[in-house]
Amino acid sequence: MGIREDLISIIGSEHTIDDTEALRPYSKDYSFTKPCMPSYVANPKSIEEIQEIVKLANKYDIPLTPSSSGVHFNGTAVPFQGGIIVDLRRMNRILGIDERNRAIRIEPGVTWKQLQDELAPRNLMALNPLLPHPQKSALSNHLEREPMMIPKFEYGDPILNLEVILPKGDLMRSGSACVTGFPDKSASKGVVPQGPGIDWAKLFQGAQGTLGIITWCIVKAEIKPAVNKSFFIPFTEAGPATELIYRIQKGMIGSECLLLNNFNLASILTEKWGQDFEHLKQLLPPWTLIFILAGGWRYPEERIAYEEEAFEKILQELGLPKPSTSLPGAPGLEKTLPNILRSAWPEGKIYWKFGFKGSCQDISFHTPMNRVQEFNEFILQIAAKNGYPIDEIGFYIQPLERGRICQFECSLFYDPDDSKTIERIEKLYIGSVEALIEKGAFFTRPYGPIANMVYDRAASYTIALKKIKEWLDPKNIMGPGRLCF
Amino acid sequence: MSIPKEAYKALENIVGPEWISDDPAARIADHKGGYATGVVDDRTIPPGICIQPGSGEEVQQITKVANRYKLPFIPTSTFFTSMCAPTVQDVIMMDLKRMDKLEINERDQYVIVEPGVSYSMLQSELLKRGLLTFVPTCGAQASVLANHVHCGDAPFGWRMGLGYRRVLATEWVLPNGEMLKLGSRSYLKEYFWGEGPGPDLKALLRGNEGHEGGLGTITKMAVKIFSFVPGKFTPKGIQPKTTLLLPEERLKWFNCSLPSREKAVDFMYELGRCEIGLMVSTIPPLFRYVARCRGLGPGEFWKRWKEYGENPDREAIDVRVMIIGWTSEKQLEYEEKVLKAVVEEYGGKMSAAPARDESNFLSADAVCSWFIGGRFLSEVYFESLDCGLHTEKDIRRISKLRTPPLADTWDTPMLWAAYEFGHNAKQEYLNYVDDSEVEALRAHEQACRENDIKIGASAIMESTKMFGPYWHNYDKRMEELKAIFDPNNLSNPPKPIERPLFDEQGRTL
Amino acid sequence: MALQLENLRHDANSCIRCSMCKFVDMVWTQSARFARQCPINVRYKFNLYSAPGLMACARAIMDGHLEFTPKLLDALYKCTLCGACDVRCKRNLDPEILSVIEALKARAVESGKGPLPEHTKIAENIAKNNNRYGLPHESRLKWITNDIKPSKKADILFFVGCAASYAHHEIARSTAKILMHSKTDFMVSREESCCGYLLYATGQVDAFKKQAERNIDMVSKSGATTILLSCAEGYKTWKVDYPKVLGKETANMPYKVIHIVEHMDQEVKKGSLKFNKSIPLKITYHDPCNLGRLSEPWLVWEGTHERYGVTNPPKTFRRDGHAGVYEQPRDILKSIPGIELLEMPRARDNAWCCGAGAGVDAAFPEFASWTASERLEEVISIGAEAIVTSCPACKDMFQKAVQSCGIKLKVYDITEIINEVLS
Repeated sequence: MGIREDLISIIGSEHTIDDTEALRPYSKDYSFTKPCMPSYVANPKSIEEIQEIVKLANKYDIPLTPSSSGVHFNGTAVPFQGGIIVDLRRMNRILGIDERNRAIRIEPGVTWKQLQDELAPRNLMALNPLLPHPQKSALSNHLEREPMMIPKFEYGDPILNLEVILPKGDLMRSGSACVTGFPDKSASKGVVPQGPGIDWAKLFQGAQGTLGIITWCIVKAEIKPAVNKSFFIPFTEAGPATELIYRIQKGMIGSECLLLNNFNLASILTEKWGQDFEHLKQLLPPWTLIFILAGGWRYPEERIAYEEEAFEKILQELGLPKPSTSLPGAPGLEKTLPNILRSAWPEGKIYWKFGFKGSCQDISFHTPMNRVQEFNEFILQIAAKNGYPIDEIGFYIQPLERGRICQFECSLFYDPDDSKTIERIEKLYIGSVEALIEKGAFFTRPYGPIANMVYDRAASYTIALKKIKEWLDPKNIMGPGRLCF
Repeated sequence: MSIPKEAYKALENIVGPEWISDDPAARIADHKGGYATGVVDDRTIPPGICIQPGSGEEVQQITKVANRYKLPFIPTSTFFTSMCAPTVQDVIMMDLKRMDKLEINERDQYVIVEPGVSYSMLQSELLKRGLLTFVPTCGAQASVLANHVHCGDAPFGWRMGLGYRRVLATEWVLPNGEMLKLGSRSYLKEYFWGEGPGPDLKALLRGNEGHEGGLGTITKMAVKIFSFVPGKFTPKGIQPKTTLLLPEERLKWFNCSLPSREKAVDFMYELGRCEIGLMVSTIPPLFRYVARCRGLGPGEFWKRWKEYGENPDREAIDVRVMIIGWTSEKQLEYEEKVLKAVVEEYGGKMSAAPARDESNFLSADAVCSWFIGGRFLSEVYFESLDCGLHTEKDIRRISKLRTPPLADTWDTPMLWAAYEFGHNAKQEYLNYVDDSEVEALRAHEQACRENDIKIGASAIMESTKMFGPYWHNYDKRMEELKAIFDPNNLSNPPKPIERPLFDEQGRTL
Repeated sequence: MALQLENLRHDANSCIRCSMCKFVDMVWTQSARFARQCPINVRYKFNLYSAPGLMACARAIMDGHLEFTPKLLDALYKCTLCGACDVRCKRNLDPEILSVIEALKARAVESGKGPLPEHTKIAENIAKNNNRYGLPHESRLKWITNDIKPSKKADILFFVGCAASYAHHEIARSTAKILMHSKTDFMVSREESCCGYLLYATGQVDAFKKQAERNIDMVSKSGATTILLSCAEGYKTWKVDYPKVLGKETANMPYKVIHIVEHMDQEVKKGSLKFNKSIPLKITYHDPCNLGRLSEPWLVWEGTHERYGVTNPPKTFRRDGHAGVYEQPRDILKSIPGIELLEMPRARDNAWCCGAGAGVDAAFPEFASWTASERLEEVISIGAEAIVTSCPACKDMFQKAVQSCGIKLKVYDITEIINEVLS
């Protein structure tokens, strides 16, 4: 018996891929990560199968790379050292919807669309990031700590608990989900992520599959507002927008709140790439703050009314004009926007990040809001210096935790079939990240080549992280070569 | 073993002779903690040395000396938990009260605190800036840092979550003396973000409860603060009747009486769906009597409590709700309207309470529950509101087995505080006993823990060794983790590994 | 019975180590800088230097596990008995924290470990010369100038006290003049002897009892029914500590006790003291511990603590500082034209001690000075030009601290200000 035979005996030949051409799509993703071919792709369906695969990997000292989405942007599912890709998309059940506690237990293969479609009839919604790809796993987005668009819901972690297969094959559950009899025979509903012993639910977030394979996650859902009012506030620069965001968030006003530059907003709204996109981009203001007031569960219009009044007062105090509910170039958007934002990107439509040139590389970091203008100008300078057209950069500023901090995201676009461009953009990307780190950008999610830059600097963190890795995965079979491992 | 002279000298060199002592009186003063004293700490031993570092660097050096001479050490600040009391010989008691700097970043809404900063110190600075921190129920005299890594739940968690979520970048002296920096502090000078980079090692700081110094010493931490409503918070009165007058145009209290536990739970869930309020919590009849009898002595309390027991209200539950006009005064009107509608729908009655507070913004009356005498332990669960319906039934049944000598709670409802708009909650059940009958309380605690395993509930103060085998062997993992970061087992040994504290007879093990 | 450590075992055991005692009332905390109220704990930080630490030591002493070590004596005798811990504890709980500390000092003296040499000297001075300074007893009434005319016999005996008699004549004179101005008949006594505050506060209970009996006898012979003082230490001693050591209640003593601020307040409200002169000054008032939180009448309770600490017979009171003399001096000062009264962050029952109490100034002048300068930081923080108090010991500490810190701040006793306005 060898690896192949053992693998087939666990999951069956129909769920084992070892044909080179069939494996090729798994060797790369939309990032600059150098393609690496896996030896196998395994499609397990159950926890037991996953455990057996993990034991197999330990037996043969062969790397494992977990994957749960049909699309990847950051190299997290590229097998740096080959081995087996554990594709979890067959595990795509919504295992439980606890409407009372607004807690949803999902398997890794559940996409955002699947999740939101299931929740909508119950007047619930999960907290998705900005327009995730339709094939993106909701679980993996949560694990990656992708920010939600509604700062007021950051009162607690969106992940409540999880179940993980550790790199030696043991099963562990976090928080109050670890109790005997969970979920059906326990008093606990699994809604507190504390413990046992340490906060396991936090440890695996941001781990990019290097510390274990998550088999389910309990995530929060919130009430889906039936009544909404959308506003679009134009700005010529990002800086003044942040002052408005700051005041709005301080006053606990509103639901979705995000700042997009015209490039990104046009990418989202355009129906036709090419001329239409360019036209829309010109029509839109340089920056648009998208701000939605959401009606409450009861008396929704009244909640919107007092929030709107407070919002207008803030605008007045800042010398800004009354807010507009319409956006040039996008008639009727104010009505459809809430549902658009509370869903995944529609299937069958070219993903908004790919429409311009076919691919894009995001640079995402966290920073205090009062540095947004500074970082914006800095990135434009770097781009200009490197001959990258500054009007072809997408910017997305997501306020976090009531506007305390933000995720600053800029996107560089390129043709994935043009190797010279790829080389140039990759160099620009790496150079930009280096410069941003020096300038004080915090990369809380260090993907790919950023990881080295970050971990070289974060000495004490790296040492501790390696100890954790060695503890949980002494053979370094999970995602070797990723992060600092 | 006694502490080598060389070790003492080395420690003295670090902090200076003024800040170290092995005087027997200093050691005696440092050998008992607060909460649960008299119940869990009959085996505590005075430490060998009391030392007061003034900085994170000094903490590192002390820790390294401790490792060199294989001396156990325990970090404390307010020392309001008995779990930090020494149980082995020759402990270096590291009292961190000298480290009391705080630095408020109003713009980015966080504060950097050292261990010696109390909530009252912080809250007083915040309220005058239109900001807020969430003071825990143990009182505003507790250390902000220690509380965030120990428990950190607060009544206003309805809006802003459990304590762990409010922890940002952290500086942590590991048991071997190395400094670990978490979050943005890992490679930046700033403290604004707590997670990462990559896997979140903040996970190691605590679990359901903190490690009580079992994995080293946190020397600096940024925690979130929150912008709050405008308006004056005015202190009034001479103690014991001091109170904080609240800005009435933005904050209002209501007492909502619901006819049953089930209705009360449904009511709290509904308020969560409505996303109104700043605080939603039941008020147990026990607390009401404690408040009424404060200043009149335990005799008066027990007399009145006994009289109440002749006809207690076992079913009706009072839920105290604070509504807030965070956005504007109109929000307050809106929230009141919603609250009224919900109360009516769930068969309750609502009455306004005066716009003042002693218990939540500054928790001045936090330790009131001790005045009625004896010893008490709380069974505390962080879980869902629904879980409370299970745990309460069982705790009542179990406590009846030992009542008397446990004080009779007349089957009346206990404390349920809802958090995160109803996503989760805390349940707290207090049991009292006279000093002479502490074994009954311990046996009750042990029985509750055994029941937790059966019904699938997780109280704080769980014993790693007792629960581990039922909870995916996490006790083994904690032992491994301890061995990795504290191979010499010097940091408040043996924590965070917990053996069962008592046996079925309530004897300390 | 009071000051017997064993009688206070329940109180020492009742400390739950919450640390409330180290902080100002939570509701009244106005800043991080001025959030704390226990001088020894703020300065020395060790848990030993705090009420919980001393409670733990008291328990250990009673159980025979501890002797009076140099560090314990240091912590014990640096405690000014300001009562902040006691009063703060009683916001929520019942233990007689201060009584335990006082009894611990008494135990230190009983066991020969206390008091400190400086305090022994004071006791010797009192025994020999009836005053703490050891100055001639005959000089005690030298403060009386020609324009001061006490009656030969009156209901009110002005008990001047050692500090005003010897070191702060201005306070004695101002007090006398105020009484004369308000047409209040008063007498003084040549037989006045030190009230014994420092004996009590350093645990020298036997010597203190002697002073108490002697002074009460003097009053009785004088025919006075009311003792009037301008010293907070003396006020508390007469009102609280004399009945305490004699096993009586304040109400059952053969005299009433009144402080000059109480008297002045009555007279102002009656209209017999009118302030027509203006003093344009920003002042703040410092509440002396012994006039503020520690001045409630003494009540006797003797009994046992049974289950849950229930007292038998019932103890239905808590002396928690709420009825201290806080408002009278403020009302007086506010009624002076031109005065702007500013409040310090720690006021009334939250007041920070001046550092003089319990012989700390005598034995630990550096620490006492530090304590006083901490208070002056508070004064500076509110922009006051002067600090006004109603105790010569407090005035003394602040004057010394102003000098040693080199700051520009005036220090007054309240009688001086009133006298200035009346003249």
